[in-house]
Amino acid sequence: MKFPPSLRIAVLAVATTGFYTYIGQMVPQKEVYPPAEVVLTKDMTPEQMQKVGLEIMSGKGLCFTCHTVGKTSGPLRFPDLAGVGTRAATREPGISDVDYLAQSLYEPEKFIVPGFNPGMPVISKPPIGLTDDEILAVIAYLQSLGGTTTVTMQTKLAWQAGGSGADAGAATDASAAPAEAAPAEAAPAPADTAPADGATADTAAGNG
Amino acid sequence: MMKKGLAAGLVALIGLALIVGTATFLMNLEYHAPVQTPAGEVTDTPRDQGIADLKAAQETKDKTKPYVEAEYRAFPKIGSRVAVWIAAQLHLLFAAFVLAVPLFALIIEFIGYRTKDKRYDRLAHEFTKLLSVSFSLTATFGAMLTFGLIILYPKFTTYLVSVFSPTFLPYVGLFFFEAFFLYTYYYGWGKFSPRVHLALGLGLNVVGTAIMLIANAWLTFMTSPSGISETGALISTWDAVRNYTWMPINIHRIIANVAFGGSVAAAYAAYKFLGAKSDEERAHYDWMGYIGNFVAICAFLPLPFAGYYLAKEIYAYSQTLGLTMMGGAFSWLFIIQAVLIGNLFLAANYYLWLGMGRIQGAEKFQKYIKYLLILVALCFAVWATPRSIISTVSEIRTMGGSSHPALGFLGVMSAKNTAVNILILTTFVSFLLYRRSGKTPTVKWAKAGNRAQLGIFVGVAAFVIFLGIYGYFVEAAVRIAFSIPQVLSVLLAMISVTVIDVFLFKNAKKEGEPRWGQIAPISQYVLIFIAVTFTWLMGLMGYVRSGLRQHWHVYGVMRDTSVDAFTPTLGFATKVVSVTVLIFFLLISFVFWLANLGGKKDWEPKQLPPSDEGPTS
Repeated sequence: MKFPPSLRIAVLAVATTGFYTYIGQMVPQKEVYPPAEVVLTKDMTPEQMQKVGLEIMSGKGLCFTCHTVGKTSGPLRFPDLAGVGTRAATREPGISDVDYLAQSLYEPEKFIVPGFNPGMPVISKPPIGLTDDEILAVIAYLQSLGGTTTVTMQTKLAWQAGGSGADAGAATDASAAPAEAAPAEAAPAPADTAPADGATADTAAGNG
Repeated sequence: MMKKGLAAGLVALIGLALIVGTATFLMNLEYHAPVQTPAGEVTDTPRDQGIADLKAAQETKDKTKPYVEAEYRAFPKIGSRVAVWIAAQLHLLFAAFVLAVPLFALIIEFIGYRTKDKRYDRLAHEFTKLLSVSFSLTATFGAMLTFGLIILYPKFTTYLVSVFSPTFLPYVGLFFFEAFFLYTYYYGWGKFSPRVHLALGLGLNVVGTAIMLIANAWLTFMTSPSGISETGALISTWDAVRNYTWMPINIHRIIANVAFGGSVAAAYAAYKFLGAKSDEERAHYDWMGYIGNFVAICAFLPLPFAGYYLAKEIYAYSQTLGLTMMGGAFSWLFIIQAVLIGNLFLAANYYLWLGMGRIQGAEKFQKYIKYLLILVALCFAVWATPRSIISTVSEIRTMGGSSHPALGFLGVMSAKNTAVNILILTTFVSFLLYRRSGKTPTVKWAKAGNRAQLGIFVGVAAFVIFLGIYGYFVEAAVRIAFSIPQVLSVLLAMISVTVIDVFLFKNAKKEGEPRWGQIAPISQYVLIFIAVTFTWLMGLMGYVRSGLRQHWHVYGVMRDTSVDAFTPTLGFATKVVSVTVLIFFLLISFVFWLANLGGKKDWEPKQLPPSDEGPTS
């Protein structure tokens, strides 16, 4: 039986699109929802802040799109965050760890980690747009990576709304606990155009 | 008589049923008193007064109804996002075709004008036959998209209007001029002097491109907004137009449109070839298909480079956006893209190899095809290798991560960049062999020329592979920069080898002309496969360009708060792309059919046999 060319063409078009649709079903399927808002209260403990901070970094903050925690093999696209809690205190002379970490989030272009290119967005502005409280929680988590969390929900940062400006000085704690000077890690670098390395976010979560 | 009586009875019955039905419907609308009102609820209000009270209450309610501005409206069944998605994609596919065909029709017409070869003129004319209906369909889907946005996304549309309103009037004006040039170009074929006609074609291309540049400003602004304040207020429309991704998209689209238009025109030729009744017809459409495919592949080869430029600008605008694209939610999409592009390269090479069969003296090159096939397949495999693979927990433990210990190294850009560059070089070699088939150079320096060409190929391939391997040992900042010398060296090879080839085969001895039409019919299905794949690829890449914004209408400025404010799975996206592609091919078949009608004989009433009774008077 001989089929007319138009029918063969139609079958070929349907088969080709069908094949590509099939390929589309073979790759990992994931719906990505807008980040959920996290609940923050002023009386959170450091442990609670760390937990929420990790949650924010994994979701709304999009931090693990670029950063890794504890990646030991292969070249880095951006600074690895393992041990940042201790490095932050010594990264810039005269700047406490809290201020260094805050600066890296509010003014990421101010200090670029040697070996990396600038590229980190201002985290307090859209499209990421973390609130001041959310940034405190993120700092709490970052401090816990090799260091001790000293920041509290009462800590006032110079960059916060109503603060005295970016260059004005160190963080203060409304509960009178002074911010411990410790270094920070900051500005990430360029992007590699490699396809997703699914390990990044998972690794981070595993170290949290 | 009996039949007439039955028919009249039937009509009367239908009429009666209609009347009864209408009356019943109207009566149902009327107020009906309850059949049995409980004694305690009996009201003294007369019926007419009750109806008047209800009406007055409704009027009062209507008058005081507050105005609430809608942010979103819902499209039934498929939802607003999918409705706008399909309308936008179909509009873009037809627009791409309408922009691309005049571009290469003009070039072909110009070649015909310079060479005085009428075949080129006929070919260019035949290409433009497909334009007028496609232009109408482009406008129709454009209107559907515009109304879709106004109705379904009113707040977002209002915002875009606030930024881009100064561009709307020029857009409409240009659209009018495009219609003028397009119809004059098509209907004026052969009616003007060649120069005037070529000028009309040039006008059509200039206006068409200008329209595309304006529309590109609107859509690229959504991804990389500029010219606005932190709160989204307009500062400068011109700055909003020339945002980060505007120029890369312009370049990428012009090239991609030509590739796409060429492939669809080649599919049209294939369709005609397969239905051809004579050898002459077959020869013509074989040649047309070859030219269409040649245009498509020529544009396709530099397309990855334009893609790099676009990706680079996306990263320059926002590292987060770039990483979301290549290392986040959309990373697997690029594996699907690799499959598509790999298929395109395979099919393009296969078509060229099949084409060698119609040239006398091509046999000596056919022995190289198997090596080229191996290279294409290897590069395809590398490009389609994912960085991380779907595995069970035990498999991940065994592998020591989500990447395969050996194959995982092929999943990074160092390997992929290398593979695609070698793939481009290989396809270029296939084309070169096809071009040389049936010809023997007569110049004295033929041997030296061949060696020089071989040297360039080997040298560039070695350089590309070296950079690919070296990329594993350097930091990201250095590695990314390697793609530029890789791309430039491949371009340099293609240009220099072509230049040598042109002089090498000047006044070459010909063993025979191509026997147009004498090609295996499967080659025509290959052309159709290429067209479908190109279209599907355009749909997929359109999705990533738009979906990249995720839950933002305008990235970082206007958030999507609708029920569709999530990024669907790739599986879902591919289904929408497939449906759109099939609708497009259904419609383009209609365009092909219409273009075909022009060559058909006019309809004439059938001649009835003379009646035996004859006239009565």
